[in-house]
Amino acid sequence: MSGIISESPTSAHPRNGMRSFLSRLNFSTQAGLAVLLLLVLAAIFAPQLATHAPSQQSLINQLAPPGGKYLLGADQFGRDIWSRLLYGARYSLIIGFSAITIALVLGSFIGMVAGYRGGAIDIVLMQMMDVILAFPSLILGLALVALMGATVTNIVIAIAFTATPAFARIARAAVMAQRDREYVQACHAMGFSGARVLFRHILPAILPEIMVMASLWMATAVRTEASLAFIGLGLAPPTPTWGGMVREGFENILSSFHLALFPSMAILLLVLAFNLIGDGLRDAIDPRMKDVS
Amino acid sequence: MTKSILTKTTLVAAVLAAVAFAPVPARAAKTELTLGAASADIGNLDPHFAASTSDRTLVAWIFGALVRFAPGSTDPASIGPDLAESWNASDDGLVWTFKLRPGVQWHSGYGEVTADDVVFSLDKSRDPKRSAFSGDYAAVAKVEAIDPLTVRITFSSRVPSVLGLLANYAGGFLVSKKAYEERGASFSRNPIGFGPFQVQSIAPGTAANFIANEGYFRGKPKLTKITYRFLSNTAARDLAFLAGEVDAAGGLTDKRWLQRTLAQPGTAVDSFDPAELAMLHINVTKPPFDDLRVRQALAYAVDGAQIADFRGPRFSRAGKSAVPSNNLGFTDKAGALPHDPAKAKALLAEAGYPKGITVTMLSSQLPSLETIAQILQSQLAEAGITLNLQPVEHAAWQQMIRKDLSALVLYGAARFPVPDYYLTQFFHSRSIVGKPTAATNFSHCDVADKQIEAARVEVDSQKQIAFWQDAQKTIIGQVCAIPLTETRDVWARKEKLQWGFKFEGSMSLGPLLTEQTYFAD
Repeated sequence: MSGIISESPTSAHPRNGMRSFLSRLNFSTQAGLAVLLLLVLAAIFAPQLATHAPSQQSLINQLAPPGGKYLLGADQFGRDIWSRLLYGARYSLIIGFSAITIALVLGSFIGMVAGYRGGAIDIVLMQMMDVILAFPSLILGLALVALMGATVTNIVIAIAFTATPAFARIARAAVMAQRDREYVQACHAMGFSGARVLFRHILPAILPEIMVMASLWMATAVRTEASLAFIGLGLAPPTPTWGGMVREGFENILSSFHLALFPSMAILLLVLAFNLIGDGLRDAIDPRMKDVS
Repeated sequence: MTKSILTKTTLVAAVLAAVAFAPVPARAAKTELTLGAASADIGNLDPHFAASTSDRTLVAWIFGALVRFAPGSTDPASIGPDLAESWNASDDGLVWTFKLRPGVQWHSGYGEVTADDVVFSLDKSRDPKRSAFSGDYAAVAKVEAIDPLTVRITFSSRVPSVLGLLANYAGGFLVSKKAYEERGASFSRNPIGFGPFQVQSIAPGTAANFIANEGYFRGKPKLTKITYRFLSNTAARDLAFLAGEVDAAGGLTDKRWLQRTLAQPGTAVDSFDPAELAMLHINVTKPPFDDLRVRQALAYAVDGAQIADFRGPRFSRAGKSAVPSNNLGFTDKAGALPHDPAKAKALLAEAGYPKGITVTMLSSQLPSLETIAQILQSQLAEAGITLNLQPVEHAAWQQMIRKDLSALVLYGAARFPVPDYYLTQFFHSRSIVGKPTAATNFSHCDVADKQIEAARVEVDSQKQIAFWQDAQKTIIGQVCAIPLTETRDVWARKEKLQWGFKFEGSMSLGPLLTEQTYFAD
């Protein structure tokens, strides 16, 4: 073990990067993965697990306490909170995954090209990224959604847009670190094209770092989506979103706190899971960071 | 020595006795009233500018008018004498002469109320520079003092309710000419009227203090002192009331608030008019709503009673007509369609939509409107109508619906209880949104123009009411809008506090305090 820890992962052959780092995941990462897996399964099997239709109102049962017919209680319209949480998981996960996938692909591409080519292209691309980065991500997301309207696609675009510069930055730095290594020079010597070197040989080496970024940003994406819904820029009612449920629960927080409590806990769990995974991945890639913390 | 000790003992005993019996005088009924208001501060106590709920409540204690609504009522039919003892109108209804009560005194020694004051005050009301309500008085041509106790008002055209314009509401309140000219801008915080209570002091953001006007012409008020505390925070106001710090407080139209408040022994809750009538306005020019059957289907699909029940049956009830129920000539037989989703489906099929329709509505994010919209969504779904809500922040929503951007508009409002106001603003073709003369006609309704205009100039009050009722029936029959709920405002009070009248309504939007208000013991 000590041998592995003292060894910098980037010094291993790039092709072994992914495999060696997966084997180094610690307990909290595994816990994070387990929670995430559970939530993903809950979202997939929402129709089977739900006890009610998520938008089915029953005004007689408004604000029903947890237990009995309603596992986690009912909201102000008598809608089952448990069922709404399950369906809400779909939106949180879909929006989080899609937004970060787009940001990852786009941002990494921009960053890699900028880092590999350097010069004017680097300056222009990274200046653009810096401008976006200068805005607080929630404010930027808020402006975009307010401008385009609150649909799943638009929320995904807004979050992806705010997350892209982070990936560009990290990809650029990683590529610059790899650019002058022997294996890259060897590729050049063999006459490989720039694109081939960049995407076939350098990409696998820098992927772990990007993945860490992705899981940490996934947490941010979930939080941003929930925040947007909380301030009323989420998907239109009666769509069950966790942020929207907290928002509606807020009106009755004095008399029935369970309305806001359960969706808040769901958001907490998902964000925590992504953060645990992200932290674990980072430790696995760069053990020195773990020692520092 | 002995004597002195004795004296001392006697003295001590006397003091002790005094302390012990001190509460005795206090056992007499309390005369100092403390109220908790849902307001942050005084805005403007010049009655011709007082527009907020709280300011309107206060000016109604300070000022009087030529005529007044019966305390506790918002029914224009209840309007009776205040400063004016009697009045008569010319046959064409354009010239009105009022005989004033002699000997009525302004607060703080500003002298007797004369015809000059009335002329000054009404001229101020219709002057846009000195009044926020001048628009209501556009038809007033001339106000003259015939003698110190006679006022003649000449109108250039017929108005739907002359007495309404001169009653204790908005521009109808009378101010003291001498005090207004003397005090200028400071009049707004230092007003002089002839009502039962007068301003003593104002602690900004904390409280306004009033004392009784002992020379009030209806008799010396039973209350001596009023403290009107600004408790804009709901929880703080609630706690102050439950702790007994305030004797009455503004409430919330919320079932759970009501439950919590009534659980406290010795507590009463008053709900009062004007009730806000919430309606679903349907743009009759936009497909598929240009088909009457589709609009009728919508009306059959919604269930106002269920929404009223959701809000709380104590202060909310199903709407029945195109005007609120406290309006003169309101009829509950306007023909509002009952809740019948099956019939709604059948009508949609007949109109060529056997699979139902999908419609989009801009929806305000104001919690009270947002919740109703979601209940509507669920009710319409039962009849095969998919209602997509497009939530918008409230202020933006107010602008967007006025630009005719939503075919469906859910809107709650109360107006002066003469139907001309509500009908004209919501259903007359001049008021259609987008027109230069636009008000709040979101439905593009023009079916009752004739009746609304005829009622406005009708001299015979029975015929006038008949026109208004016909207008209500036509509008509801053509389903320009679907009445949903009527919601009243609420105040909580200690049972011992007696308003002195049956509190069913208040043109001043809060409890009216009169010379009769007292604490029972």
